[in-house]
Amino acid sequence: MKKRVIALILAALIASLTFSLAGCGKSGVDVPVPAEKAKVFTMGIDPEYPPFSYLGDDGEYTGFDVDVCKAVCDYLGWEFKVFGVNWDQKLVQLDSNECDCVWSCMTILDSMKEAGYIISRPYFDNEQVLLVKADSGFKSSADLAGKDVAVQLGTSGESLLNEDLKDLADSFGKVVTCDSFLKCFTELEGNAVDAVFVDRPVADSYVAEHEGFVIIDEDLGAEQYGIAFRSGDEELCSQVEGAIDALVADGTYAQIAAKYTDIDEGNLIFLK
Amino acid sequence: MTLINIIIKMSEGLEKTCAIFFLTLLFAIPLGMIVALLRGSKFKIISSIARVYISVLRGTPLMLQLIAVTYGPYYLFGISVSRNKLIPVVIAFTINYAAYFAEIYRSGIDSMPVGQYEAAQVLGYTKTQTFFKIILPQVIRRILPSLTNEIVTLVKDTSMAFTVSYQEMFTIGKQIANSQTSFVPFVVAGVFYYVFNAIVGFVMGRVEKKMSYYKI
Repeated sequence: MKKRVIALILAALIASLTFSLAGCGKSGVDVPVPAEKAKVFTMGIDPEYPPFSYLGDDGEYTGFDVDVCKAVCDYLGWEFKVFGVNWDQKLVQLDSNECDCVWSCMTILDSMKEAGYIISRPYFDNEQVLLVKADSGFKSSADLAGKDVAVQLGTSGESLLNEDLKDLADSFGKVVTCDSFLKCFTELEGNAVDAVFVDRPVADSYVAEHEGFVIIDEDLGAEQYGIAFRSGDEELCSQVEGAIDALVADGTYAQIAAKYTDIDEGNLIFLK
Repeated sequence: MTLINIIIKMSEGLEKTCAIFFLTLLFAIPLGMIVALLRGSKFKIISSIARVYISVLRGTPLMLQLIAVTYGPYYLFGISVSRNKLIPVVIAFTINYAAYFAEIYRSGIDSMPVGQYEAAQVLGYTKTQTFFKIILPQVIRRILPSLTNEIVTLVKDTSMAFTVSYQEMFTIGKQIANSQTSFVPFVVAGVFYYVFNAIVGFVMGRVEKKMSYYKI
């Protein structure tokens, strides 16, 4: 009997707690947002993707994409925030409102548009390349037949190897998927793989900073980068695009691009 | 990709998940016993080494240990990273799980009443005989439930091998989820893990029944 009473009291407590918490959530929404409060714009990035988005020496996120987004937010008077997404879950995290856009060398895929995401105008011409050790003697993708190649999970490189470049992927000994590019490079450095399949600018930046690596000069897949927004966010997308246009017009965009010497300006579509 | 295709593709990875699981048990169960015995050693130095081992391995994340075992030798000594990732993965899992198993064994050994040792001595058993013939069977009986707990955790922890790019079942599931923008592979993974653990639970239940002979 006593036990039952205690159980009842506990159940009542839990129920009332749940209700009061649910109530809290509601009342929070009812409070009107003061008009002067700046809109918070959260940018979703892959935090390990130099030179476009990475953790800088000062411990703040930096990179070309981050700087452009910062400038866009300054221009529009928004409060700027960065959110490091788990790249292979980026669209799920976008859908769950953890960020307002995915803006980090994101390759525009038809499947994203089909799934209803709003994709901005492309801003970068990219190609996929193979990065190898300089002393390995590999000169073309054909030399890598039977060799192991690393690729990052959730990147366009990975989907290319699964679809359009399936034959090439099959010629490799094994395709190793890593959860970040830094792991891919570590695998290459430690001789666990023979090549890394990667976006051109990331390879350029890596080669510039580390000795003993070369890029196989062979265009394996042309693609373009864009910014992804949730479906229904057309207005947000056009606001951001408008702000970028303004930054291109007043030269800020070119200034930011000049800061990142690893990025080939010829590939920046807005500067052409 | 149909559900059947997803299941077939993920089953291929299940083989690798099983490889981690069985090899880890094979090595960690005896290694844990060795660590437990060293931990109970009369020599201060030996017992403190075992104590530090347990403290470090239990006190740091398995994910970190995986990275350290896989890439550490390259960064420290320039030894090439292993192409067969199963080797570093099993080493990392084994040293980690041995630490947990050691503590479970110790709890069992410490729970045995001194009277049993004394009785065995009176009956003329040597120390080794006492341990293997009298103490150990009872210890195993007592620790089986906690051991099952750890083994079940091990099944789920195998998914962490992804950190070092070992393509086990969950990694393949993630890849499919990614390319198909679908949640189905995660549900499949959940079912796989659950069934795997249900089997583990069943087998351990049977073993427990068999060992109930040693119950006091």
